[in-house]
Amino acid sequence: MEDALIRLRNVKKELAIRNGGEEIVTTILPDISFDITRGEFTAITGPSGSGKTTLLYLMGGLDKPNSGSVFLDNEEISAMTEEELAEMRNAKLGFVYQFHFLLPEFTAVENVMMPMLARGRAGVNEARRRAVELLSEMGLADKLNNKPNQLSGGQQQRVAVARALANHPMVLLADEPTGNLDSKSAEVIYRLFARLNEETGQTIVVVTHDEHFASETGRILHILDGQLDSDRKLR
Amino acid sequence: MKFNYHLIMIAFRQLRNRKRQTFLTLLGISVGVMVLITAVSLMDGLLQSFIQKIVEIAPHVIVSGEKVKPTVPDQLVASGNGTHVTFIKNVSRDDQEVIKNYPRVESLIASDSLVQLVSPSVSTDVIGMFGTVSEPIQLFGIIPHVEDGIEKFSQNMVSGNFDELGRTPDGIMLGSTTAKDFTAQVGDRMQIVSPSGRIYSVRVVGIFMTGINDIDDNCYVNIRLGQNIGGFSPDEASNLYIRVKDLPKDTLVAKTIERETNYKAITWEEKAASVVALFKMISGIVYFLVFFVIMVAGFGVANVLITNVLEKARDIAILKSLGFKKSEITWIYLAQGLIVALVGAAVGCLLGYVLIEVMSSIPMASSSASAIRTDRLMMGKSPMYFIGASMFALIVSLIAAVGPSRNAAKVNPVEILRGER
Repeated sequence: MEDALIRLRNVKKELAIRNGGEEIVTTILPDISFDITRGEFTAITGPSGSGKTTLLYLMGGLDKPNSGSVFLDNEEISAMTEEELAEMRNAKLGFVYQFHFLLPEFTAVENVMMPMLARGRAGVNEARRRAVELLSEMGLADKLNNKPNQLSGGQQQRVAVARALANHPMVLLADEPTGNLDSKSAEVIYRLFARLNEETGQTIVVVTHDEHFASETGRILHILDGQLDSDRKLR
Repeated sequence: MKFNYHLIMIAFRQLRNRKRQTFLTLLGISVGVMVLITAVSLMDGLLQSFIQKIVEIAPHVIVSGEKVKPTVPDQLVASGNGTHVTFIKNVSRDDQEVIKNYPRVESLIASDSLVQLVSPSVSTDVIGMFGTVSEPIQLFGIIPHVEDGIEKFSQNMVSGNFDELGRTPDGIMLGSTTAKDFTAQVGDRMQIVSPSGRIYSVRVVGIFMTGINDIDDNCYVNIRLGQNIGGFSPDEASNLYIRVKDLPKDTLVAKTIERETNYKAITWEEKAASVVALFKMISGIVYFLVFFVIMVAGFGVANVLITNVLEKARDIAILKSLGFKKSEITWIYLAQGLIVALVGAAVGCLLGYVLIEVMSSIPMASSSASAIRTDRLMMGKSPMYFIGASMFALIVSLIAAVGPSRNAAKVNPVEILRGER
């Protein structure tokens, strides 16, 4: 229990969809609880609409549960204000999305620098040094000053991973990071994640419906209709 | 919160990505600032040159025959328990108000060290006749060489010689407007019909033009002739015109005169008050119209920002997921408004400066030839025009930026990130 980095307790999430005049409330997660331990590489799988992405947003403090609580590093993030959440995301979390979501006006290096520069966490020179280091690790040393539209999909996603890692996050949260990539590029991302987890003990939670990717991780949480269907430890 | 360099970079790059729209908005601000600066300069210049001219060729203080206060009780009327005193005659002769024994009053006023010059004059409404034209004119009797020190006729002669008036007992000098009405020229003889019906024959010795209509309507003769025509005694004058040594002291001089002589004294400011007020009103209308030019420029700023916020909703969501706070997002878009306003105002100031220089160098065919010392448009020049117009543009742009910036801060990242799936 000591090592539980993320704890979800009786989390319930409803989504209100406005359809014309009436509001339709759909329960996405009726009641879910689980822990994620420090250093774990976890895949959340399940069919579309099962609530796995919502689960990720709840863990990342981008969304709040209707009831129940979410703890990160022994802090209840489900009770934080928006400003506190922003601070927490910047300091403790890194996000990778299905689409690369880089800022189109900025070069690869500048994109990676962004989370470090937010609120003067790091000086420009220091941030640039770390960004170059991270991108080199991602094998993008020759693409530092390319704008996102001058990079391939796989390269863009690697820049996004570098950006997610910029502030040494406690948890790397990834939402279908290979969903938009060809199999070769996807393979590069798998290995990258696996290596990060093995070499630096980076805690990673990745939402995917790619069975192959999931099988490479250390634990698979299978979600079905918002319920925990199975919890398999692979390692 | 710390306003970091990277926020300005984001703001700047987003603007640069929409070059055309940003450029047009910038142009809007620039034109607004330029028009405002030019309008203020023009209106200010007109007013300044008008005042300058008045001060130069009009008396600073005019003393008239009107009494400030009747000091002698006129009548005692018993009423109720007490007695009422009246100071104003309830039956009074419809006399022209004159300054009696003016040489004494004149020397009294002249003894004030602030006074530079005192010039007596009599004025009479008469009918002028020349050929088939007869028209009412206001005739002034003056001591030419003294009055010249105030109204500067000798510098504003269109034809004839001003000194001739002093040498010609029956000479008359016409204002340009009157001369045009009569089509009279120097050397012509014309007739003056006095209020009592007598006809005097006078000879035109000169025509002057000051550029101020009020003065160019008048006609001048020697004071003796003026007194004869108006039926004044030789020691009576209608007005004493005064030029002071130190202009801002004219009010003080007027007050002293009223206290010491009991004759009403008005300053040029009081006399020109209605004209100055008119100028100010016209300026007000001009500024009001220009205000809308900048308002429209402000809409341009709002437009750019609204488009940017809508188009960049995804980027805003990313920044938020990276941990950017609401206030930081707000700053990015406020900074965009500021950048556009600052650059626009700077360009507008430059354009305004050039326009003022160009306008003040265009030769103007002046209707009042020698009167206006320059034949160019009088443009005011002051750094305040530039500072004021820039500040105004800045404030309007900031106000325009507030709404879109706050909307940007309200973007819900989850909605946007989900929407991409």
